[in-house]
Amino acid sequence: MIESVLLWTFALLTAPLFAGVIFKVKAFFGGRRGSPLLINYFTLIKLFKKGSVISTSTTFIFRLGPIVSLAAAATVLLFMPIGGHAPVISFDGDVVFVLYLLGLARFFTIAAAMDTASPFEGMGAAREAYFPIICEASMFMILILFYRLSGGLTLAAYFSGGQPSGFWQTAGSPLLFVVIAFFIILLTENARVPVDDPATHLELTMIHEVMVLDHSGPDFGLIEMGAFFKLFFYASMVARLILPFELGHPALNLGVFSLGLLLVYVAIGVTESIMARFRMDRVPKFVLTSFALAFFATVITLEFLK
Amino acid sequence: MSLFFLSILIIASGGVLPLLFFRQFTLMRLLGATVIGAGCCCGLRDAFSRLADGGDASASFDYLSTFTLAFRIDGLSAFFLLAIFAVCLLSAVYSFSYLSDPRKALGTAVSYFFFSLLAAAMALVVAAANMITFLLAWEIMSLASFFLVIHDHRNPETRKAGYLYFVFSHVGAMFIVAAFGVLYGGSGGFGFEAAGLSQTAKLWVFVLAFIGFGSKAGVFPFHVWLPHAHPAAPSHISAVMSGVMIKTGIYGILRMTGILELYTPAVGTMVLLFGVVSGVLGVVYALGQQDLKRLLAYSSVENIGIILIGIGVGMIGVATDTPLMAVLGFAGGLLHVLNHAIFKSLLFMGAGVVLHKTGSRAIDALGGLLKNMKVTGVTFLVGALAICGLPPFNGFVSEFLIYVGSFGGIALETPVFVLSMLAIVSLAVIGGLALACFTKVVGIVFQGEPRSRAAHAGDERGPAMLLPMVVLAGACAVIGFHPGAFIFMPLKAVAALGLDTGRIAIEPVTQLTTNITLGATLFLMALLIILAVHRILYQGKPIGRGGTWGCGFTRPTPRMQYTGSSYAASILDFFKPAAPLEEDHPPVSGLFPGATHYHSRVHDIAELHLNHMVVDPVLWLFDKLRWIQHGDIHLYIGYILLAIVVLLFFV
Repeated sequence: MIESVLLWTFALLTAPLFAGVIFKVKAFFGGRRGSPLLINYFTLIKLFKKGSVISTSTTFIFRLGPIVSLAAAATVLLFMPIGGHAPVISFDGDVVFVLYLLGLARFFTIAAAMDTASPFEGMGAAREAYFPIICEASMFMILILFYRLSGGLTLAAYFSGGQPSGFWQTAGSPLLFVVIAFFIILLTENARVPVDDPATHLELTMIHEVMVLDHSGPDFGLIEMGAFFKLFFYASMVARLILPFELGHPALNLGVFSLGLLLVYVAIGVTESIMARFRMDRVPKFVLTSFALAFFATVITLEFLK
Repeated sequence: MSLFFLSILIIASGGVLPLLFFRQFTLMRLLGATVIGAGCCCGLRDAFSRLADGGDASASFDYLSTFTLAFRIDGLSAFFLLAIFAVCLLSAVYSFSYLSDPRKALGTAVSYFFFSLLAAAMALVVAAANMITFLLAWEIMSLASFFLVIHDHRNPETRKAGYLYFVFSHVGAMFIVAAFGVLYGGSGGFGFEAAGLSQTAKLWVFVLAFIGFGSKAGVFPFHVWLPHAHPAAPSHISAVMSGVMIKTGIYGILRMTGILELYTPAVGTMVLLFGVVSGVLGVVYALGQQDLKRLLAYSSVENIGIILIGIGVGMIGVATDTPLMAVLGFAGGLLHVLNHAIFKSLLFMGAGVVLHKTGSRAIDALGGLLKNMKVTGVTFLVGALAICGLPPFNGFVSEFLIYVGSFGGIALETPVFVLSMLAIVSLAVIGGLALACFTKVVGIVFQGEPRSRAAHAGDERGPAMLLPMVVLAGACAVIGFHPGAFIFMPLKAVAALGLDTGRIAIEPVTQLTTNITLGATLFLMALLIILAVHRILYQGKPIGRGGTWGCGFTRPTPRMQYTGSSYAASILDFFKPAAPLEEDHPPVSGLFPGATHYHSRVHDIAELHLNHMVVDPVLWLFDKLRWIQHGDIHLYIGYILLAIVVLLFFV
């Protein structure tokens, strides 16, 4: 239990660090030195020191948005096995709970954006409401496959103990599809290129970044933290899936897990460096690919597991 | 049982008294609201004690051995009675402030009369124990609600909606009568028994009853009346109709399931597929609406879909001998009946306050209402969160049970696997779409800046309207946070279905509810901690107020805000084949373009095809048969005699 809590704290503390890796990779591709690895901590501290300017159009929901989304992201990580170790808490059906909690966070992010009466934020909110619908469908498709493989409905059953290396043994290559599907979901849910470009300068083309335009100071800091946690959550699923090795010692396992995470974040950075953002009407097709892959993997394994 | 009849009596007198006192406007409303409310309290107590202590009650009255009225309250009836009385009670309280136009005193009194009739009839429908009683109560219910829909009968659109509802409820009743006829033909009695029916006959009964009850419940494609009738009715009536009256259709389907014991995979598949289609298309159409109450009406179609998915999963669970799947499916579906009754009546009441204060139901004409209407706004927000199925509110609990039940089917053989997969993926899609739909409502109606002068007008008064909403929002939160205290109710109702309950362990279900409480507690703890941190971070900091950042544009107006139509446009584009969009937008051309406009409308394919495929041919046929109608009474009597003689050959 104590170890689980420590690992959870590890996740909370290192989430900004891993997100800093993406900047480094992008700087490398751009031929720059880039910002220091700890840049996200500096940004957070800077934001927390500031005050805020709040739009006169807003209500209490605007202030509540960042708080709810951060609380949801932090709670979600409680259920995530870090480094294959048992999570802080786990119960039957926790996957559904976790996904719906992230839905609650999305509801409040959208509501906070709509609160500002800004047409740009409304536009971002509409996109934020749209793409995750498909993501959720493919997420549940993957859950169906995992349930079929493990017979459990908890994150612990999929990502801790002997799993998911057991999955690889029973299902084999179809799981490669799942990895790609997960990665697409990760990119979409966390507003990364090619779905959304966090670094663009034009508000019209943004999704997540435009929704938080009016948040400033500590409120914005909380949003950033929530985003780091959420990215960490999705990344740790992919990381555990690609490096499901158990080395016998918790510290070594954590090392392998961190290596996996590093790979995922580097992959995000590489994707962002070599791809441009899709046109908005192309994004649903891209996200649907993840559903198709997950579906395909499930159908194939259905034949295998007869 | 006597308490039940007493409550019916009180409710009925609560309908007659306003008719007598309609000249004293306030007294009349007070009498109507309190007496109907008192009757509902009475019934609520009876239903609750029956759910808590168990035990069925029955009574029957025989009139000159012409017909027998029989009543029986078991767990399933008591569960529906609970929802009916609770929603009627709160709607009665709400109506006190809502029906506030003294110029329409008589109309208000009549409205109370039919309201009491509707409440009593709904209670009698779920308590009926034979076909005659059931059909009698069903017909009173349909007619009373028809008169309530045309409350505002001077409006031609309302009359049209009322007519559509009338036709639908009677065609539906016709199917129910047909189903009962087949049942009678097999069992030879008016009781609800299916002994002696062959498997094929049972299937016929179920399919006919499903169409009949489905048209009352608003199952796609029999839902066409719903988005017309709900906006036309006064808001507390919409709350009752959408919250509980359409659930009598679900009750009918469940009662038929219990009577027929027809647990074949085919029936479960049918129910599940209708549920999936209603669920997904209902919410897609809801997203496309620009009228607040129409949107809520379509969202009822969606929720009926979720309920049917639960029931379908339950039926498949019984058919495949998977007790846990069966119990979770049925219990989840039934709990969703109660949950939907709570949050949908809350949302309709909220829409009613908005309509009352601003005079507008057009989503794109409103905005910024949360600032002046705090109670309405916050309770509406709670209702929206609950209807999206988000934790820690009640909608999540029922959807969670259905999810876990459906996952039970994943481990089984291929056909069941495919169906369970369909149930799970469509629930996920419905959840996502509902979130889009209700962020649109909350975001456009209650947030941002007022989009028209009407939207400025609102401030809320009338505690009689606000109190029911606060109670309902509280119920959403309490059931969502601590479902363990309420789960016994749907389980009791499931037990009344007569599944092989001896084998079914209740512990897994209660374990699931404990888990939800645990998860919700953790989340709330995290929320409180972050709230505290948030406070500390803002300690002694300046908070400036300014306009919204317009991305460099310095003269924004409220008209520039994102509208509900544009918010939904890209999602609707994805579902274009099922939800064709009609746009009317003359292009801007020339150097000095004239005025232009933009209208858009999302069509309901069921409504479109109903016109092509049913209404037009029927009208054509009846036009050809016009010569039969000539006005000669003696020839009409001749027709009747001829019909009887012809029928004699068949008997």
